[in-house]
Amino acid sequence: MKDHFLYGGFGLAMGLILSFIGFTSYEEIHKMFTFSDLRLLLAFMGAVGLLVLGFAVLTRSRNMPKKKFNKGTIPGSVLFGAGWAITGSCPSIALVQLGEGQLAAVFVVFGIFLGVWMYRNIASGSLKLDTGVCGEE
Amino acid sequence: MFEYWSWWLSALSLAGLTIGYFLVLKVPLGVSGCWARVVMHKDSQSFEQDKSFRENPLMLKDSLMAATIEEFGRQAVIDFLAERRGKPAGYKQFDRKVSVASHVSWTVHMTFLLMLIIGGLIASILSGQFEFRSDLGSLHTSLFGSGVSYWITLIIGGVMVGFGTQMAGGCSSGHGLCGCSRFVPASLIATAVFFGTGIVVSMLLHMLAAG
Repeated sequence: MKDHFLYGGFGLAMGLILSFIGFTSYEEIHKMFTFSDLRLLLAFMGAVGLLVLGFAVLTRSRNMPKKKFNKGTIPGSVLFGAGWAITGSCPSIALVQLGEGQLAAVFVVFGIFLGVWMYRNIASGSLKLDTGVCGEE
Repeated sequence: MFEYWSWWLSALSLAGLTIGYFLVLKVPLGVSGCWARVVMHKDSQSFEQDKSFRENPLMLKDSLMAATIEEFGRQAVIDFLAERRGKPAGYKQFDRKVSVASHVSWTVHMTFLLMLIIGGLIASILSGQFEFRSDLGSLHTSLFGSGVSYWITLIIGGVMVGFGTQMAGGCSSGHGLCGCSRFVPASLIATAVFFGTGIVVSMLLHMLAAG
């Protein structure tokens, strides 16, 4: 039960933040990708910059799993990037959009579910790909 | 009239969220991993049965090894390990499916994903942006039209996001935020590729719409 509250709390915080910074707006994402507004790009790069400092301090005492490059990294990222440009959605965004009343996001949520299922059930086996699972090892 | 947070406040909040997540939950933030565990929850259940194993990974390893030797004999295990050493580095796939084991139940990941929805609801009510609508904004419909073909485009786009993030082993949170900031080579490459592709596809859409 404790885990539900902790993870749920971070889900809530992430939903709030993504909505307030405009990451859930297709228009803002499109403007980021076409460089017509640098706000979100700077936000992302600024966050990475801050995290360089943060993780440098934190991971001195604690080990953190590192992802390994494999033959799925590039084609997978190409697919994801194209899907992101089309739907404006990375895996968390479509859900936050639903909460905001952007009901069309339900199709994206369904698509993501289907895509994850297809990869895990069919492709990772037939392509002999072990690309790992994000989050923990 | 509501304005989105400035770039520096956005950067600060994203970094704070990522650091807080790692400090409290002791695993890096990774939304695509949450999806994998929810979608594949039938596979991850068997890993959640015993709490003592969860807290002592070594005990689990030792017990598995003992059981394997008992079942197949010591020689079979030695032969297998010898054979595996001949395989290329990084080989670890024994089964058709990749394990989606986690130290918490899949329902916890489900809670995380559902609370994203609540977060969006609360934020949009607070900012006055909440509004039921059947599209993703006027720019999106001007690029992709409406009706059934619009819905199919969204589903296909969603499949690309779901499939792609699993294949790439992470998304904007896992590769982008948690990986790039630690200079993990695979994450730097993945982020460059998905951002690059996003830029190219968005530019193309922009040009097509401009006609």
